[in-house]
Amino acid sequence: MTFKKLLFCLFVLFCQLISAQNDSITNLKEVVVSDRTLYSNNKSQSIQMLNDSVINTNQSSLTNLLNYNSVLYFKEYGGGMLSTVSFRGTTASQTAVIWNGINVNSQLTGSADFNTFTSPDFNTISVKAGGGSVSYGSGAIGGTVHLNNNLVFIDKFENNLRLDYGSFNTIAVNYKMALSNKKWSTQVGFSRNSSDNDYDYLDLYTWKGVQRKNQNGQYATTNLSANVGYKIKPNAVLTFYSQSSNTDRNLSLVSESDSKTKYINTFSRNLLEYNATKEHFSSNYKLAYLTEQYQYFENIDSNDFSFGKSETLIAKMDVAYQLLESIKLNGILDYNRTKGFGTSFGDNTRQIGAIAIKAVENYNKKWQNELGLRKEVSSDYDSPFLFSLGSSYVFNSFYNLKVNLSRNFRIPTFNDLYWQTGGNPNLKPESSYQAEVGNVFTYKKFTLSETLYYIKINDLIRWVPGKGDNWSPENTDRVNTYGSETILGWANSYGKNGFAVNGTYAYTVSKNVDTNKQLFFVPYHKATASFAYSYAKFSTNFQYLYNGFVYTRSDNDPNEIIEAYQVSNIGIDYDFGFFNASKLGFQVLNAFNQKYQSLEDRPLPGRNFDMYIILKF
Amino acid sequence: MKFSKLFFIALVSVSVFVSCTNEDEVKVDSGDYNEGVLVLNEGSSGQGSVSYISNDLATFTQDAYTAVNGTDLLGKYTQSIFFDGDNAYIIAGGSNKITIVNRNTFKIIAKIESGLASPRYGVVKDGKAYVTNANTYADYGAPADAVGYTDDYVAVINLATNVVESKIELKATANRIVSENGKLYITEPYNSDKIIIVNPTTKALETSINIGSDADTMEAKDGILYVMRSPYGVAGEIVKVKLSDKSLSKITFPDALKGAKNLDIEQNTIYYTAGTSVYGMNTSATEASSTAIVSYTSTSAYGKMYGFAVRNNHIFIADGGDFTANSKAYVYSLNGTLEKEFTVGVGPNGFYFND
Repeated sequence: MTFKKLLFCLFVLFCQLISAQNDSITNLKEVVVSDRTLYSNNKSQSIQMLNDSVINTNQSSLTNLLNYNSVLYFKEYGGGMLSTVSFRGTTASQTAVIWNGINVNSQLTGSADFNTFTSPDFNTISVKAGGGSVSYGSGAIGGTVHLNNNLVFIDKFENNLRLDYGSFNTIAVNYKMALSNKKWSTQVGFSRNSSDNDYDYLDLYTWKGVQRKNQNGQYATTNLSANVGYKIKPNAVLTFYSQSSNTDRNLSLVSESDSKTKYINTFSRNLLEYNATKEHFSSNYKLAYLTEQYQYFENIDSNDFSFGKSETLIAKMDVAYQLLESIKLNGILDYNRTKGFGTSFGDNTRQIGAIAIKAVENYNKKWQNELGLRKEVSSDYDSPFLFSLGSSYVFNSFYNLKVNLSRNFRIPTFNDLYWQTGGNPNLKPESSYQAEVGNVFTYKKFTLSETLYYIKINDLIRWVPGKGDNWSPENTDRVNTYGSETILGWANSYGKNGFAVNGTYAYTVSKNVDTNKQLFFVPYHKATASFAYSYAKFSTNFQYLYNGFVYTRSDNDPNEIIEAYQVSNIGIDYDFGFFNASKLGFQVLNAFNQKYQSLEDRPLPGRNFDMYIILKF
Repeated sequence: MKFSKLFFIALVSVSVFVSCTNEDEVKVDSGDYNEGVLVLNEGSSGQGSVSYISNDLATFTQDAYTAVNGTDLLGKYTQSIFFDGDNAYIIAGGSNKITIVNRNTFKIIAKIESGLASPRYGVVKDGKAYVTNANTYADYGAPADAVGYTDDYVAVINLATNVVESKIELKATANRIVSENGKLYITEPYNSDKIIIVNPTTKALETSINIGSDADTMEAKDGILYVMRSPYGVAGEIVKVKLSDKSLSKITFPDALKGAKNLDIEQNTIYYTAGTSVYGMNTSATEASSTAIVSYTSTSAYGKMYGFAVRNNHIFIADGGDFTANSKAYVYSLNGTLEKEFTVGVGPNGFYFND
């Protein structure tokens, strides 16, 4: 198999040689970022940016990238299966995924499945810790994950191809093309990841003594994207972002005799954006159309399925006015119309209108103050008044202090409201108050960010067994969560030797106010570390993940936990010098063959291997 | 989880206790888990489990299966247990399997892992087990002839080989099952208004008896099948079916006992529950008693009286709790005195007697 793969790689290589293009200039002068206020308007909060070099040294799923490089905690229903997040001790639907500035959490479940996103499809991926509902709407309680495509307006033609082959017949293809000049910018991307995913469960045997393995876990994820930008005038840009994805997964069995089921998720996301600036004014108009659909096959051999679908139209107007030299005001009007339908919740339409005002004051170069207010009106529920108040002060080149206070929310989902039977149309949104203090230290090429936070969450929605034998959601729980996040980074080079060290650590206490128990599936401790070393054209990297134990039961039964685990990956690659860059790499994942799982009875793979080739031309 | 099959099973898994099953073989009295009560816990995100309480209430094991069999998986949503001789058959509806253990030692003997589809309850007759299988579930609002409403069956298991050797198609929904006088009687509370009758020898369906919707727990005694009907929001009733001529008589509950459920007959008393209280009436009574024998306090929003049984002068009550944490089982005397309480597993749904 490996030999075949090599042959294939060589063949691809050869084809590329023939069609090799001229070198392009990679000095990025003009970049249009879809979410242009993410960095400039949120200096009072911590934003960790992962660029494409980090993205490329990780496995392609977004789960994998963030699990090994951020404070986010994930649980997976088996490798490659449904993957949900907990950020700052909050629930899966309290972290919002923002695609080019648009909230794309599921309208049906409220959460995002991080295994349906392929990270190399994006140019930058940023993790913003803390509340962000004023800017990003529902679900931005624990934090937000930003997937951005950046359009570049310079003369450029660049192709990027990555091919992976790994254990369990895991195959990944990722291709990106960028074509641009001073007026036009185009990006096209394609990715496909598939795996038989039939890994052995380390040290686990059936009652007959047969080695257990991951059964019915095969998956395939396909993504297509196209992004286009056109500069109508020097100060007016029209951009269009489009992505469609399909994740076709069988669902891993817990017991060998479980029914074999299948789950297909499809998404399409389209965003048309117009941005113009004129003297003191700038205006931004967005029109987005999003669809999501799941199909659940109770039996993989049958064509019968249940499904749910949502179609969302978003129109957004954001007008900015430079009131004073130091003060910029933004007025935002937002309209969102979502239609949800499916086998289990009839046909329902929800409309939300929102008005928001944001102000940023640059008192001087060192001191930025931020204020945001937002109020939504919805056909379905009463929405709280949201605000965000923050300040960032740079004392000196060594120390930057950040303070932020906000109120955020998570609206009930279509499932919560309309699931038949059990949906509860009288739910209120979950809401939270949050306070945080961040300290950022910078010394030469060393940065250390230390953030302390406190979140108070009310009206947490939980499904409980309800009247007439059905389960039903209720605004039952109150949760207080507090903790600290530490992110450090250092990179330097000495001659041909390059070094990079990164680390994150999160301490999280998330307690149910009524019972004073830690929420289940929230670890007290999570840490990641990575070390990279390069010499000339060789580079190696080492990744480490420590995930502390989690309770699996609401009563914190000490016998019912997922044990802590430590997983390490080792990678090496060599730039063999064709084109602009062309790397051949090899990775050993879970190098020390750690037996581990993130959910009970859902073991994750032992030691396994991946090899890849990256070509830029 | 919300969309998964397991969730659907969670929705319908409102099991309580199983009527006593026929025991074809005689059990041996020895082993750590002999002479006691087994509490079946259906589990939620984790596997189901079995707790053991000795008859004198002095010895307790919270998770007997894991204590004996280590990491082996008992299965998701353990629904019920039936016995044959020294064997206990633990049905895991969410994992399509039956785990067979020695009822005295709890050591695993074998598993039945094929031929089952959301199995529910079982009885034993002449060396064979008859297990109802809910098979697929229809979507909400599906037409009455949807596959999910018509594909339930009884799996016939040869207990010598532990193989499902045939299936009896019921063309209806099926849940609880009782074996009496050579016939199998089957009820289902959500989508059926009849008692299905199966002749296990010929595997043929006989003319069913229409008794109305929401029939769930039942028990046969002296030629009469007592069936509890608990329609939501209106007064329930006990339907007495005289098996010799299939004639019906009824005892309708007063409004104060709305939602009555959990029928269990112990020595000439029909016990039942409503809310958090236990009631009893003589089998020959013509009116239901509304004087509580025992009332217990439950913080469970909706898991009150999730498991119930009366045996050996004790009343056993299991509380569903919040279905994410270990919950409680309570043992009361017949005059309503609390004798002991135990922290059992998640979602305790039934009591079985190893005496």
